[in-house]
Amino acid sequence: MADVLTKPFRRRATPMNLRLWLPLVWIAVVAAAALFAPFIAPHDPLAQDLMLERLPPAFMDGSEPGHWLGTDSLGRDVLSRMIYGARIALFVSLIAATATCIFGSTLGLIAGFYGGWPDRIISRLVDIWMAFPPVLFAVLLVAVMGTGLGSVIAAIALIDWTRFARVIRAETMVQARMDYVDSARIGGARRAATLVSEILPNVLPSIIALLMLEMGIAVIVEAILSFVNLSISSDDPTWGSMIAEGRGSIHFAWWVLLFPLITLFLTVLSFSTLGEGLKQHFDPVHK
Amino acid sequence: MTSTHPTAQTLDIIKLNVRLANGRRLLRDVSLTLKPGEVRALVGESGAGKSMIGKAVLGILPNNLDISEGEIILEGAHLNAMTPSTRRKTVAKMSSLIPQDPLTALNPVRKIGPQITDPLIRIHGWSADRAMKRARDLLDRVHIRAPERVMASYPHELSGGMRQRILIAAAFAPSPRLIVADEPTTALDVTVQKQILKLIRELQRETGTAVLFVTHDMGVVAKISQQVTVLFAGRVMEDAPTQQVFEAPSHPYTQALIKATPTLNAVTKSFSPVPAELIAELHSDIAKIDAAYDAGDRA
Amino acid sequence: MLAKTILIRLLSTAVTLFGVAVVVFTLIRVAPGNPISMMLPPGATQEDIANLNALYGFDKSLPEQFVIWLGGVLHGDFGTSITLRRPVSELVLGRLPATLELSVMALTIAVALGGFVAVIGARKRGTATEVGLDLTSGAVLSIPDFLWGLVFVLLFGVLWPILSISGRIDPRIDFDFTTNFYLIEGVLRGRFDVVGSTLSHMLMPAMSLALPLAAMIAQLLKQNLKEVLVQDYTTLARVRGFSETSVILREALRNAALPTIALIGVQFTFLIGGTVIVERLFAYEGLGNMAIDAVINRDLPLVQGIVLLFAALFTVINLLVDLSYTFLNPRLRNG
Repeated sequence: MADVLTKPFRRRATPMNLRLWLPLVWIAVVAAAALFAPFIAPHDPLAQDLMLERLPPAFMDGSEPGHWLGTDSLGRDVLSRMIYGARIALFVSLIAATATCIFGSTLGLIAGFYGGWPDRIISRLVDIWMAFPPVLFAVLLVAVMGTGLGSVIAAIALIDWTRFARVIRAETMVQARMDYVDSARIGGARRAATLVSEILPNVLPSIIALLMLEMGIAVIVEAILSFVNLSISSDDPTWGSMIAEGRGSIHFAWWVLLFPLITLFLTVLSFSTLGEGLKQHFDPVHK
Repeated sequence: MTSTHPTAQTLDIIKLNVRLANGRRLLRDVSLTLKPGEVRALVGESGAGKSMIGKAVLGILPNNLDISEGEIILEGAHLNAMTPSTRRKTVAKMSSLIPQDPLTALNPVRKIGPQITDPLIRIHGWSADRAMKRARDLLDRVHIRAPERVMASYPHELSGGMRQRILIAAAFAPSPRLIVADEPTTALDVTVQKQILKLIRELQRETGTAVLFVTHDMGVVAKISQQVTVLFAGRVMEDAPTQQVFEAPSHPYTQALIKATPTLNAVTKSFSPVPAELIAELHSDIAKIDAAYDAGDRA
Repeated sequence: MLAKTILIRLLSTAVTLFGVAVVVFTLIRVAPGNPISMMLPPGATQEDIANLNALYGFDKSLPEQFVIWLGGVLHGDFGTSITLRRPVSELVLGRLPATLELSVMALTIAVALGGFVAVIGARKRGTATEVGLDLTSGAVLSIPDFLWGLVFVLLFGVLWPILSISGRIDPRIDFDFTTNFYLIEGVLRGRFDVVGSTLSHMLMPAMSLALPLAAMIAQLLKQNLKEVLVQDYTTLARVRGFSETSVILREALRNAALPTIALIGVQFTFLIGGTVIVERLFAYEGLGNMAIDAVINRDLPLVQGIVLLFAALFTVINLLVDLSYTFLNPRLRNG
């Protein structure tokens, strides 16, 4: 029951091109910013200048030329920090989401295809994992492993694998009951081979959609861990640490919060829209 | 009963056309009248538009259908000239529906009692006591034992025949002037069919309610109606008293329909389907009529 | 039948909770950093450390510690907080009302808002309004509570500052609470300043938690309403004179609600999980905020207590949802 419910709902078909292209364009912009950060960032993201602290963005009075989106309370350039922040955000989301996807999908496929005791063990683990508040779990894991990007990535994979495991398990069970799997088995295919050749291609659209969703979630988790000061060094330019800084000086310099927030908002929205769009695109039934 | 003045009719349908958004007609200039206390059968094969007439009167056709052309006059009220909300209230005050499938026409999560009394209280403005008593009496009348217990039950606890009797009781409860019975026996098995038919006929006679009885079965027509409207492809083929239709059907399609009804020919055991040539001929007639109609429409 | 189902579910719940206890106990014990050394002033002797270790039971082997701890838990003794030096059960139960009030408020908002949008969508089915609502809810549900919280901070904390962005109640309010259910107590004792201040602090975090769930409810419920609204019994209700809105609310809603109730049940636990970061964001004095402090301060007994309480809360909610599902569907009740 839960598996059906946590699956994203199929939305009304709007022009497929727009639904795929708009998020792709935004993600390409973020990716370009990440790749070419040293060339396009107007300032050193770590350079502090206490003479230029809390400068407003360029369109407001009292702004300083060159600081397009203003500066934070240590005089660091907001735009440059955002551009460098894209590096960490994309790196984390790519690695963490892929790791989570491989780990969770494998367990889901095994549980759904073999049933029996592997299924019982994996399902029980999912139950236990689901009984933790995920953010608290992440904070706890990073506290245990020590701060740093590696811990953040590991924490995401160790917590969110259940998302993949639940959905893929349910879909695999449906697929495994279908006729073509039986005929493949009667045809002499080994069970493991059937899993890879017959079932995996059919659950792939869901895996891809979840992977996209997970990339958005990973960006958020990194931001949340930065926000509670557990990601990487708080000087480093991450969107989360900028948001934390912006939250602290909200009454003096709201732009320090606003711009990273918009970026984060669009990035998460893009990933989930893209995931949903791709799923419909690949899904043979709903194409 | 003998008055010929239009307002004395319970229902008066004048040149009703129902069209799809693309202009194709599903009902073609259908006219019929229903006197108080009369039972008129609407008969035809599937797709003839017989159910559509009842639905057009009750205002429950799908939204993509256009019924603006023609008049539907219920107890003197011109329904097509009304706002949707006035129309809805007017129709509800004066008419009821006995639906086709008793298994899907009762709300599965609500008890039987409120499903009968709700409209009486909320639409007809009765007191709860009066509505309860009426429901009990009518359930008793449709031969349901222990009405109290049935009213406290959920639909899934009752048989199909019982549910149809409940729906009949619910239809008669507000003492409507008109009841549309939309193939009320089709979904039931044969033995139950007879009881239900008998029940509708009895209640109709006792209350003097006019009934528009939609059916595909000429055998049912013979049992229940005084008047018959025979439909083919949304067009009236024949409109006559029941006795006359069976003794001397004037239209070849009606003759073919009677021949095609097994129950009517049980003695001779010779029944034959409606001939394909006849169907083709009728279709080509209708195509001509439609062409003329479209030409007139454009002019 | 029902009793047997409940029994099986309770046993399963117990196994899950035991698993949670094992995981959290193991995790915390392998964490680097000795909590005892953080408690002591500089220059403490080895003897002091050993004494404290013995006091908190850290000198025993891990399985021994686990059995001792679990034995205590079963007797309602969750140990003593290292940083706050008070019984964990007292601290946790002191904070629980704040989190419960916030979660239930968020759930109420989500159900009301989502239900309202679903009914409007079903009422306007097939029109541009429905498409617009679909697209909006699609976007709203993919943005998590944390980001909504930040959006609200900017909107109603800075741009149009009508709500309070940190804390649970204005500290200047002079009121002697007998419980920690500030909102409920304020209402019951008729203190509108307390209610107003509590709401002003609670509304933004509650809205942040509610929005994604509201969007999910709006989508699922509308879809199910549309399926029910073509059923014969809704047609019959229209013939009987009920307006479309009335048909939706009286005839369709209960039939369409079952999948949504299951969704709400599953998602309510996610919503409570979300309180952890949202409380942090709004400096709201609930369990989640305390939990993050406890993790950062390596307060092992406190972390264990809070995690276990969350886990218990989640599993109990899931159990209640399953039961309500049976209760609401008459066909399952007699089965």
